[in-house]
Amino acid sequence: MALPQRRTDIGPPHYKDFLPPVIQKNYGDWKYHEILNPGVMVHVSNKGEKIWTVRVASPRLLSTDTIREHAALAEKYCGGYIRYTTRHNVEFLVSDEKNIEPLLKDLKDKKYMVGGIGPRISNIVHTQGWVHCHSAACDASGLVKALMDEFADYFTTKSLPNKVRLAVACCTNMCGAVHCSDIALVGIHRKIPIVETDKIKNMCEVPSTIAACPTGAISPDPANKAVKIKEEKCMYCGNCFSVCPALPIADPVNDGVAIVVGGKVGSLRSDPKFSKLAIPYVPNNPPRWPEVTSAVKTILEAYIAGARKHERVGEWVERIGWESFFKATKLPFTFQHIDDFTIARETYRNSAAFKW
Amino acid sequence: MEKEEVKKKIYALIEKSVGKKKLKSSDIQKTISAEAGVTRDEVKAALKDLVDEGALIYTYFGGSFVEIPPKQ
Amino acid sequence: MPKKYQTPLLDELEKGPFPSFVTEIKKAAAKNDMAADELGLLEKSYKTKRGYWKHGGIVGVRGYGGGVIGRYSSLAEEFPNVANFHTVRINSTSAFFYTSKFLNEMCDIWDKYGSGLTNLHGSTGDLVLLGTNTENLEPIFAEFSSRGWDLGGSGSAMRTPSCCVGPARCEWSNIDTLEINYAVTQEFQDEMHRPAFPYKFKFKTAGCAVDCIASIARADCSIIGTWKGKISVDQKEVAAYAKNGMNITEEIVNMCPSQCMSYDGKELKIDDANCVRCMHCIAKMTKALKGTGEKGATILIGSKAPFVIGATLSHVIVPFMKMEAPYDELKDLVRKMWEWWDEHGKNRERIGELIIRRGMREFLEFIGIDPIPQHVKEPRRDPFYFWTEADLQKK
Repeated sequence: MALPQRRTDIGPPHYKDFLPPVIQKNYGDWKYHEILNPGVMVHVSNKGEKIWTVRVASPRLLSTDTIREHAALAEKYCGGYIRYTTRHNVEFLVSDEKNIEPLLKDLKDKKYMVGGIGPRISNIVHTQGWVHCHSAACDASGLVKALMDEFADYFTTKSLPNKVRLAVACCTNMCGAVHCSDIALVGIHRKIPIVETDKIKNMCEVPSTIAACPTGAISPDPANKAVKIKEEKCMYCGNCFSVCPALPIADPVNDGVAIVVGGKVGSLRSDPKFSKLAIPYVPNNPPRWPEVTSAVKTILEAYIAGARKHERVGEWVERIGWESFFKATKLPFTFQHIDDFTIARETYRNSAAFKW
Repeated sequence: MEKEEVKKKIYALIEKSVGKKKLKSSDIQKTISAEAGVTRDEVKAALKDLVDEGALIYTYFGGSFVEIPPKQ
Repeated sequence: MPKKYQTPLLDELEKGPFPSFVTEIKKAAAKNDMAADELGLLEKSYKTKRGYWKHGGIVGVRGYGGGVIGRYSSLAEEFPNVANFHTVRINSTSAFFYTSKFLNEMCDIWDKYGSGLTNLHGSTGDLVLLGTNTENLEPIFAEFSSRGWDLGGSGSAMRTPSCCVGPARCEWSNIDTLEINYAVTQEFQDEMHRPAFPYKFKFKTAGCAVDCIASIARADCSIIGTWKGKISVDQKEVAAYAKNGMNITEEIVNMCPSQCMSYDGKELKIDDANCVRCMHCIAKMTKALKGTGEKGATILIGSKAPFVIGATLSHVIVPFMKMEAPYDELKDLVRKMWEWWDEHGKNRERIGELIIRRGMREFLEFIGIDPIPQHVKEPRRDPFYFWTEADLQKK
């Protein structure tokens, strides 16, 4: 069968064609919203019109079967309208109040996890991991699944001092908001890349490989038309491998997960913050990474015990001080915690006033 | 300069750099517009033709480049 | 029938309350050879604790330099159906609104030409079709584009812009995030599909400083809605919050970063001149408080993940820009920035890194913006700065 005529440079369709009628009518005219329960909120417009949102969890990696099921549910209860969130949740957009209970019942019967709205753990922003990425130091989907199973109650029912944004990145490329999340995991390497000297000539450009190194550890090896790596300068970031595949760095024995905490993107109460290192290395232990989930639980519980209402993880830690964070969590403080990269001196303590 | 002329110049530039340096679209635009005294937009239009015809392709590995497609 | 693999490790990840990605892969694997081999390969990764994917390449659709990302298994003999298993990025709609009709059509195309596996959505915000063979790429593009859908960005190009839900379903949005997102995407189609930048360039548009799209952390150009007038206070609603148990002094007044609020148990007062518009009070008392007056956006530049010099957050370039269609001021500013980046940027150098390398002065002078205190958290601490001849002539 002949293919339809292709078109280029058309961009995406206009979003108006995908908005429920009640949104089209009240676009830009919303007055307030209320969180009715962890999985349902209602937005009310200045005209008094309403739209209800029912949020459910999603693993982000979806089969067409499941998407068809989303579509069928949207058709049955939402006039066919549905959206996905930046954190990969699914949102059913209900215009008719009487459809909410039947939708919730249907979702429950189909074993969907409803929740994630308000001061809770919402879905985890994450990357491809071993499912589809060349540079993964760990899986991402498996870590997400293990964590969200552990903290499911904080998605569906229990509340926290404020929302806690989790993220997982399977390598230091950080395709995800790991560098600004409340608690985040990032896959790391701990040994330098293997230099496949005879392959470099055909597979890589030497100048761009050298330029990819943030610490100047790579130098030319002109005799072999290849490169050399200075072991004591390499911080195992893996950026060179993304430019030159003849420098593989994946290492099943030494790769693992680092845990960073205290980042946020919103400006509420305090400026956006980077996540900072809490645990430099936890071993890769698939399929359920028990050491990782237990470490995250330790941090989360210390936050719940110590934070004031509305404080994010980073705001809590800054109020009590990092020395108190390590005390409260009983996490060991190591040489790896002291920065020796580009902004090192900004992080040293320049005051004699601190807590014991 | 005629578009066909610009196209020839672009192709020759890329041919010449095979095995030496992979060229980015902006490298080509800068070089050809300086060499041939045409605007960057004219180079861009000629480059677009060459890629649409399949004479050149975009490649990507540690950045995006324009190259001659490999022989099947 | 697709090959059936034993997956004892992955089976462990089908237990528990959170929806399982393994179940998703298995659903597709039951009827699709590619998805079946993906499942087998992933089980192997779980056993050996390493990935088996190779990246980069030359595959794409004719005429475009982006939207398709070549992916190859290094175990092609063992898992032949994922020997090549490329990603196709479809440019999502503004704020990810869809209809069941489109989702069903998308699934029909993807079952026919791909693995049946997707990401809704990828980290940048594309609708990601996860895994297909090289020969399916042109048919997929024809099927989608003939229905009005285009590919997203990849490589050294403008990436698929994304935005928060904005005025479609949020009372806090100061700008039309969906329309800005759509307008930027349409304006720069060539820059998206024919990579000509030093490296990637991302736009993210947030309606307010809550920043639900993480624009300040994840976009080369962050557009964040704000306002210039007062915060209007509905004292009746304030009283209602107090009555419902909110401790307004502790939860609102004491948490205000600029200490510009006071509450005497009856009336909530705001010293608007000292408000930094952080959104805390508005977010917590949405029925009582609203930003009013002139609406627009702050334009910030330069956030990115750690490679190469360490992670950066976007920093203020234009403190306030009116955001009215067709957004010419924004488009002109963007073109100017790109011109400077094109002139000086090295391969794989993001615009934010270039600003750090060459200095804010050169960047601001090129785009025609005068220095103001809002550009910095604090002035420099060192005495080492440049003087131009023109500076010396100034009295």
